[in-house]
Amino acid sequence: MSETAVKRDERKLPRVKPATDVIEKEDGYYIYMDMPGVAKEDLVIDLNEDDIRVSGKAEYEAPAGRKIGHVEFGNGEYFRSFTVSHQVDKDRIKASLVNGVLELHLPKAEKSQPRKITIQQG
Amino acid sequence: MVIDLSPFYGSTTPFDRLLESLWTPLSISQRGISYPPLNISEDDDHIYVRCEIPGMNIDDLDLTLTDSSLVIKGERKSVKGKYYRQERPTGSFQRMVNIRTPIDRDNVTARMKDGVLEVTIPKSEDNKPKKISIEAS
Repeated sequence: MSETAVKRDERKLPRVKPATDVIEKEDGYYIYMDMPGVAKEDLVIDLNEDDIRVSGKAEYEAPAGRKIGHVEFGNGEYFRSFTVSHQVDKDRIKASLVNGVLELHLPKAEKSQPRKITIQQG
Repeated sequence: MVIDLSPFYGSTTPFDRLLESLWTPLSISQRGISYPPLNISEDDDHIYVRCEIPGMNIDDLDLTLTDSSLVIKGERKSVKGKYYRQERPTGSFQRMVNIRTPIDRDNVTARMKDGVLEVTIPKSEDNKPKKISIEAS
């Protein structure tokens, strides 16, 4: 019962795919997501095996007595999921939310870093 | 890119009202065309302008207020690296909001929270409707 009530409540908000950048740097992969209006408490990041799911809610209070003049954005639920490659060290994934941008740092696992193979003389 | 939102204040003529009714679905589809998206609302004392600008500090934004307009300017910088996917907009942006009411310029406040800028513009005292009591003689 309560589960269906929660589901109906969630469905009220339109789902938005947040704009995302995926960048590779020397120390790993970085994912940046624009999630304006989402507070740290409303952001959920789930890592399940190879799947990262990011969801967050942006809700704006509308005090009584305010007349709306022009609207271009509104309440919404951001949702996006990624599949993480095996090169990523899943234990060291870091996330930070600054000014409405979520930064996920996915460091590469030690073993996938390039290394020279020494040739042994026989 | 400058967007003129002309009949924001006092849309009284039938033509203005017709325009406004055409606007409502249009304004939603405007998402993505004009950057940054903004919402305008008002009450008796203030005009509120809300704007989605993620990833910007309030110090990096350039807010200019004249008697009749508010200009929001800034630049979103990109991160260096090898891009696999780029969807977030970068570069400089500018938006202008026309204000057709006297405002109290000295008491305008702006704050940034979670990537949403909110500018509160108080309306000027001179413009408020006053009740005049009529004394019966």
